[in-house]
Amino acid sequence: MDTAVQIVVSGLTLGAMYAVGTIGLSLVWGALRMLNMAHGVLIAIGGYFSYQAIDGWGLPMPVALLVAMLAGAAMGALIYFCAARFMFRNEAFENNIFIVTFGLAIALENGILKVFGGYPLAQPFSLDGGFRIGGVYVPWQNVLIVVVSVAVMVVMAQFLAKTRMGRAIRATAQNRDAALLMGVPIGAVFAQVLAIAGSLAALSGVLLSSITTLSPQVGFDPMLKAFIICVIAGLGNVIGALYAAFAMGLFEAAIQFFLGVRFALPLMLLIVIAALIWRPYGVFGKKQVTRL
Amino acid sequence: MSGWKRDLPIGLVVLAALIAAPAFGLPRFWITTVTVFFIWATVVSQWNLVFGVAGIFSLAQMAIFAIGGYTTAMMGLYLEWSLWLALPVSGLLAVVFGAVVGLACLRLTGAYVALLTLAIAYILFLLIVTDTDCVYYEGTVCRSLTEGWKGLGRYGDYGFRDLFGRDFHLGNYGLALAVLTLATLFSFAIVRSPMGLAFRALRDNPGYAVSRGVSRFKYQLLVFALSAFFTGLAGSVYAGVFSVIGPNVLQLGLLLFLLSMMVVGGVGRPWGPLIGAALLMLVDETLKEEAFAGYRNIGLGLILAAVVVLLPQGLAGGIDNLARRLARRGGGAPGE
Repeated sequence: MDTAVQIVVSGLTLGAMYAVGTIGLSLVWGALRMLNMAHGVLIAIGGYFSYQAIDGWGLPMPVALLVAMLAGAAMGALIYFCAARFMFRNEAFENNIFIVTFGLAIALENGILKVFGGYPLAQPFSLDGGFRIGGVYVPWQNVLIVVVSVAVMVVMAQFLAKTRMGRAIRATAQNRDAALLMGVPIGAVFAQVLAIAGSLAALSGVLLSSITTLSPQVGFDPMLKAFIICVIAGLGNVIGALYAAFAMGLFEAAIQFFLGVRFALPLMLLIVIAALIWRPYGVFGKKQVTRL
Repeated sequence: MSGWKRDLPIGLVVLAALIAAPAFGLPRFWITTVTVFFIWATVVSQWNLVFGVAGIFSLAQMAIFAIGGYTTAMMGLYLEWSLWLALPVSGLLAVVFGAVVGLACLRLTGAYVALLTLAIAYILFLLIVTDTDCVYYEGTVCRSLTEGWKGLGRYGDYGFRDLFGRDFHLGNYGLALAVLTLATLFSFAIVRSPMGLAFRALRDNPGYAVSRGVSRFKYQLLVFALSAFFTGLAGSVYAGVFSVIGPNVLQLGLLLFLLSMMVVGGVGRPWGPLIGAALLMLVDETLKEEAFAGYRNIGLGLILAAVVVLLPQGLAGGIDNLARRLARRGGGAPGE
């Protein structure tokens, strides 16, 4: 019984963090058809800005979270204005943007290394203490992570469903040409989507580094996992990504418990490979028929 | 064929220059650097077949390279084979591995292929790095199958030390140059064969190509398997030249470095990989200077991003365009 509670607690925590990270990636793919390889470094940027805001500038935690999200949004917008803007009309956009964001990611990661050093840091955005369910100790930090994640997801869902901007984003994702013809400013939508995705990545970076440690490469594993989740859900399928994120979190917690940490990521990657071969358009995705 | 008429003389001149270079007193440091260039250029020229010519966004090339390298190292270490015997075996195993990767990607397109192949490479990396189970003991020292982070060593070399003594690096230089020459000839031959035409047809218009009877199954497996052979050989040569092979060959930084070579040189252009590899090695050597300490990867990342944004066809494409424009201007001059 305690084992099950333990797995559920850590699984939900992991799932909540993955969900926040994955929505951004999924939105970007849906609207721009762009795989953002800089996602991992945006996660790291969020973590480092929160660290700097609390330990360096002495700001309170909620403000630090805001600072981190703003920094992520700024980086996301920068990716649009420095690179994506010149490229998205190009036929080979899908491949080229992958390479460009890959290059930017390596450059930024080493930039962080230069400024903060490679030594792992402790994320100050954290709560002490906890409570017990039966024999299992649940830290407040895990509760905080789940609450913040769920709150952000609710806000995002409302934003996409209700606001003008959200409608423009959904229209662009459904059919770029039709949206353009209806007068949706595609460029502005792309910039907004990348900024939103950047701030979500930064947020997940703050949460994630609060239960591990902060290092320049902190974002790479979560980015791969976010890709895994997106692929399983079908790239661009935001709701499917939420389910898949929580399923993955629980699955990872279970593997870590029964088989050990060593096999968690390799097994997850193997599952993706199997899933891709079995359903190339994602488990929750719909098969697309292309007319030639 | 006009392509061969242009490329064969250029190739022969470059080859002659490279053979003559050590005789004209190229310093030892540069001989070693150029040997490394030969190895990377071999990998990139084969990667270009998959990535550029067939248009499949595979990132598995360094995983194939690692399979070749580790096969050679393990045969030398555990079976005590001569590396010369392990060399072709490494190439063949790499072909098998490449074909399996191709099979796994068969139903995917575009970015999904990139993700899947990246996942395969990363699994390999993680399994090697976390490998700590002892397979045998040396005294009290526990030795694992792949030796984890440290990598494998002490499996010998290609025997140039016994043959040439102090000048063994010349042997490595020659071996790497031979492999690169064969690999380049091979890739040129493939690009200009009917098979290369099929690869390009599937890249440019898969629907039309398939409906004209070009089998995607057959050609995708072929391009993965064919391009894996020399990549595996390059891995084997790398293992022999450095006498150690570790999981660092699977790290993202190196993958990015080789990807930059292909992109900077010109994706899908036969000379692209060689031009790109030579240029990036030079840039890398420059960035290694003390003045740029710590900025090496920042520089490489920014160069890669800038080239894709500003020069999407790479240097080879840029040179082609320039030559065409000059020819047009030259031809138009008398009339003006």
